Formats: sequence, structure tokens, C-alpha cells
Amino acid sequence: MTDLSDLPPVRPGRRTLAAWPAVPLLAALALWVYAVRHTDVSRLDDFGLVTALHPGFWAGLVVLTAGFWFTVRDPRRSGGWPAAYVLGLLLMERATQAVLYPTPLYAWAWKHDGVVEHLLTAGGLQTADRIGDMAVYDQWPGFFAAQAALVRLLGVESAAVYMAWWPLVSSLMLLLPLLLIYRTFTEDRRLIWTAVWLFYVANWVGQDYFSPQSVAFVLHLGVLAVVLRRYGRSGEGPGRQGQAVWTAVVGVMVVTIVISHQLTPGMLVVSLLALCLVRRYRDWVPVVTTVVIFLAWCLTAALPFLSAALPDMIRSVGDVGGNVATGYGTTPTGTGAVATSWAARLLSGSVLLLAVAGVWRQRVLRHRAMPLLLVAAAPLLMVVASSYGSEMIFRVLMFMLPGVAFFAAAALLPEVRTLAAEAGAGARGTGATPSAPAAGRRPSLPARRGTRVGGPLLVLLAGTLAFVPSYSGKDRINYFPPQEVALVRQLFDRAAEGSTVVAANRNYPLAYASYGTIDHYWFLDDDRRHVDEIVRDPAATLARDMAGVERPGRAYFLLTQGQVANSEMNGQLTGAQLDRIRKSVAGSELFRLVAENSAGVVYELRREGGAE
Amino acid sequence: MTPQELVVRMLPPFGGWLALAALALPGGSPLRGAAVAVFLAAGPGAALVGLCGPALHVRSARGPVERRDPDFARRSDLLERLMLIVLLSTGAVMIVATVLIATHAFSGQRVLLALTLVTTIAAFCPRLRGASPPTPRTQKGSAP
Repeated sequence: MTDLSDLPPVRPGRRTLAAWPAVPLLAALALWVYAVRHTDVSRLDDFGLVTALHPGFWAGLVVLTAGFWFTVRDPRRSGGWPAAYVLGLLLMERATQAVLYPTPLYAWAWKHDGVVEHLLTAGGLQTADRIGDMAVYDQWPGFFAAQAALVRLLGVESAAVYMAWWPLVSSLMLLLPLLLIYRTFTEDRRLIWTAVWLFYVANWVGQDYFSPQSVAFVLHLGVLAVVLRRYGRSGEGPGRQGQAVWTAVVGVMVVTIVISHQLTPGMLVVSLLALCLVRRYRDWVPVVTTVVIFLAWCLTAALPFLSAALPDMIRSVGDVGGNVATGYGTTPTGTGAVATSWAARLLSGSVLLLAVAGVWRQRVLRHRAMPLLLVAAAPLLMVVASSYGSEMIFRVLMFMLPGVAFFAAAALLPEVRTLAAEAGAGARGTGATPSAPAAGRRPSLPARRGTRVGGPLLVLLAGTLAFVPSYSGKDRINYFPPQEVALVRQLFDRAAEGSTVVAANRNYPLAYASYGTIDHYWFLDDDRRHVDEIVRDPAATLARDMAGVERPGRAYFLLTQGQVANSEMNGQLTGAQLDRIRKSVAGSELFRLVAENSAGVVYELRREGGAE
Repeated sequence: MTPQELVVRMLPPFGGWLALAALALPGGSPLRGAAVAVFLAAGPGAALVGLCGPALHVRSARGPVERRDPDFARRSDLLERLMLIVLLSTGAVMIVATVLIATHAFSGQRVLLALTLVTTIAAFCPRLRGASPPTPRTQKGSAP
């Protein structure tokens, strides 16, 4: 048979070896457990988790990848083994941080925890005149409302209790639609599971954290899976029977996406439109359904945000250079930041090149999986449309990845042929192996098999290992030790309603706690000239900035290690400059120290002429 | 309906009522967490897929061009069912929670109660059926 024709024939009587894939899998997991028990994350350097990890972790990844590759290629193994290996990969990739760090990663995840807290406190949705820019979350509240319910139903204090595990949960959810999409185009188990593997190792972008987009992406792939399998032109595809029920199912998923996230519906629309380019998949019902639901939400619940943001959105249409620019404060600085950033670029670039090679080399597959190729290319259109807060290039990469990973996997596997070509090759060849090459024209079979196994294995290993610096290389920025959490909590516990917190940037835990009543000023977001002024005369300039706070509110200056790491590693102020600011504030009579620990300091601005 | 079918059909609403009962356990208790998480992740979706299942299968699915494994299409259909159970459950939780919060009627118990009621009604409803009897679920050679 075509897709699987190069596999050696199944040899009976070797059942005793049937369970051998368990050996590398269990060995890898044992190495992982040993490694996480012997990894110290209390002193992260600029390479993040990369240099902190015990060598056993890397050995485990190598064993796991090699075990996967030899298992997935073996036709005697059941499909359960590759699945077990992928689950092992997810555990090592997406659960390591949750096990190692005592507090959740990412300032953005903490921000989303703040939004959930706000919904629980407010008990309803609020507009910009009450909560300013943060009202955008109340206009796409689906994810946060569900999390608010979960917090109450689990009876826990906040989402911070479980959000460290969200990358594992969202990655596991992705597995179902991903498998279904791949199974629409091939029965070849090797291609399906290698594509899944490549997808996970190349998906370093980090949108799997506690966020609306993590769930919206799963639903996006779910809609595509359904459309690829169940929709198409009548007369050639499945016809119109049962379409109303399927459209209702798609409608529920689209509504969920639309009420949760701004960008994903746009990505879905361009993907569905791209599918309509293929005659057999041309069905306007899913596109129209998505557009109608999206517009209905945009013109009602989300209208306040959109009407305010529309001028900027219109300006960015067509500005490709501006849309792919990453902006001030996002330039990797220092050996660690630069190295891990290049690791991520090389990983993405390699997978994209592999995909191009797969498309070019696999003529039959290119034809059969044309819809997947279109779905992979469609998100590129969004680069023309918007910058999405300097993040568009990363989001586009993520949405392209399911299709890209499929063709990248195809580049690592033998060529897929049609039945007719296979029959022809069988007739011309020796007859022993249908796809065996004719003698004298190609290298001998064992030599070719060695290359086929060794080369792709090395590529797979390199990609799997490169994932770690790409995904965890900036953990010095993203990890907030318990002392930092305690310090910020102490600040918010004492801050009265109407207070303002001044900090270098927003990279600290609980930065958005009580955002309905406490204001913020992150001075590195301000105009560069004003930042220079703060650096020249820190205490006096900051005191002027903080002077406008009215009673009973107070003005606080907060500087933590997360802010310093973010500023240093992203090319803003250096650690020495921030330390100078801290010393200036500490030595000024305008401020008084209210809290301090190993992770940072909190100062309060003294009131002029008032008792303290 | 066989006793086995009845059990399968009543499992999702039972999960919902069990989760509601589990709220009596102390906050943060693993049993309470497990009962709630399992129902929210699968209960509403399982009931809705059960309700629509026969109608959904009227429409055949696309599959790979060339097939050697007779079970491949059946396993793909099962995978699709599992995916729909999880995604529809996720959707139901997010939509119900959003509606309640938008109407200032939000509480965790209300979200769970509403989902349990939806699940119970879906389990008791007669199954939706398509206009014609099911055709083979995956068309052979239907992809280009």
C-alpha cells in the first residue's frame, strides 16, 4: 500500500519484544523524575532553566526522542506506544516548570489571575469609565468567567493555585483536534505522530499558559477538524445531510472562541476562506457562520473597545514592517537572552524549512493534503492586517504550525506514492519489496535505511532539545520566587483605595491585583526622555510623578527582581541603573521604606506637611 | 433501550449532580476538585454529543485517499466524538459563565446547576435523528 509501502513486512513470533518501547519510555521518565528532584531554581542566570536543569533531564529527552523514533517507525507496534511517548514528551516539556517552581510563571498569567479576581469581586462586567484599559477583558470575558466559576467550584483562594499546570492541560487538549486533522489526510501512523511531535517541540511561542488564547487555539483547531472532515461541496463530498446539526456544533465552538479572544476569530476566518480555494472543500456555511457570530459580538459587546481601537487598527493595515516589528523593550540583551532567542529562531526556521522541503519532495502528499497547506499559509495574511501589540509574528507562527509540522514530518519520512506508481514499481522491481530501488541506480537498502533512520533522528533530537532554551530560556524573567509574591501581596494588603503603585515595568506577580481600585505607573513604558530624567535624578523625578495621588490613597514605589531581570534582558535599563534608582529613593527624605525582602523593596512617598 | 445504554445516557447528569453534592466538601479537597473537573470537562459535551450523535453520523466523514486499516475510520470517528465531548463541554462552561456574569447573576453554584440542568434535559430528550439512515461513516477515496 502506498503510504506505508516502505515498511518492512511484519514478522510473526516476536511477541516477546512487543513491550520493548516501554524500556526507553520508562528510562526517560525515570531520568526526568531524578532530574527535577536535583534541579535548583533558586539562582537562575540569563539562560533561565537551561543551565539550572540537571543533566539527567537532557539525557531523558534524548532517550525519549530516540525511543519515539524507533517505536513510531516499527509497524509491529500498536498506535498506543507513539501516543504514550507524546504524553511523555508533554510531561517533560510542559509540566517541568510546574513541578520545579513553587509559584506560577509569567506576569501575563498573573495578570489573567487578576482579571478573574476582578470578575469575582465585581460580580459583573464593567466598562472603561470604571476600569480604564482593563475593560477590554470584560468585553471578551468567556475564559475569565469560566475560570471564575472554577475557582469558586474548586473552593480555592485563586486561579494561582492551579494555573501553573495550564500549559500541560491546554497542550493535552490540543492533541485531540491535531490528531483528527492529520488523520483526515493520511493513515500513516509515522507521519501522524511525527507531525504531532514536531508540532509540540516547535510550539515554543508560549501561548499555552493560563490565557484565553490557549483555549481559543484548541477550539480553532477543533472547528478546522470538523470542517475538513464534515464539510465540502454537495454532490462530491458528504452532501447536505445532517449539515444543520454540524453547523450548530461548529456554532457553539465559534461562539466560545468569539466571546473569549480577539485574534482567533480573525485567524479562523482567513483559514476557512483559504479552504474555500479548494473546490472539494468549498463550503461557505462555516465561513458565514463564523463571520456572522464574530460581527454580532464586535458590534455589540465588544463595540466600546473596537470603536476606540479602530483608528489604530486601520492605520496598521498594510504596514507589514510595523506589524512585524517587536518594539522597544523587546531586544534580547546579554549572552543568555541572545543565545536563547537565537535557539528559538533557529528552531522555527528549521521547522519551516523542513516543511518547505516536505512540500517540495512529497508530490503526492502535497496534492492530497492541499487544504492543510492552505490552512498553514493563511495566517500569514494577518501580518498585513495588524501588529497585535508587536506580537503578530509569533501568533502567526503558532497558527501556521499545525500545517507546517505535518509537511515538516513528511520531509523526514519516505516518499508517499500513489497506488498506480506503487503497482508499476512492484512490477519492475524484484517483487520482494514493492518499493525496493532498482540495483545500480540507488544505494543498497540497508545503507538507505540507515540514512533514513539516522538523519531524521538527528533532526528530531535537535528540535526536541532546542525547545528547552526556546521555551524556558527566559525563566529568569518569568519566574517570581515566593518572596517576590509575598512582598507584592504585602503592598496590596496595605494600599488603600485610590493608591498608585509605581514600578519600572509590569513584570512582577499580582501586578494587576485590585486594578479596579489601585492605579499603576510603569515608568519604562513612558517617553524615553522622561526615563532619562528618572535615571538622572531618580528620587526627585519619581516623587514629582507620584505627587498627584489623593487621600486616602498613597503612592508606593515598588522594585523587584522580576522587574530588574525584564529590564536588563530586554535592553531597557541595566541592573546598575535600576540599583542607582533604588539607592536614590532609599536615601531620599521624600520616601520611607515600608517593606523589604530578598526579592525587592517597597517605599511610600511621604506626604508634604502631613503626619506619617 | 438496553440497561447499558440507559447507564451511559444517565452518566453525564449523574456526574453533574455528583459535582453539586461534592460542593459540600471543604474547598480545595481533591474529591471535590475531581468531581467538579471531570463533569466540567466532559459532562455537558457528552450529553450534547449523545443527543445529536445519530444526526451527526448521517453526514459521512472525509478520510485519507487510500486505506488499509479497516478500523482507521472507526477510530477517527471515536476520536472526533471525544474531541467534541471536550470542546462542547468547554464551550458550555464558558458560555453559561459569561451569560451569568453579564447578567450580574453569577455564582459558581449557579454555573454548575445550570450546566447540570442542561445535561439532564439533554439526557432525557429523544435523540436527534437525520433525514436518512446513516451511510458509511468515512467515504473511501473522498480526499483529492
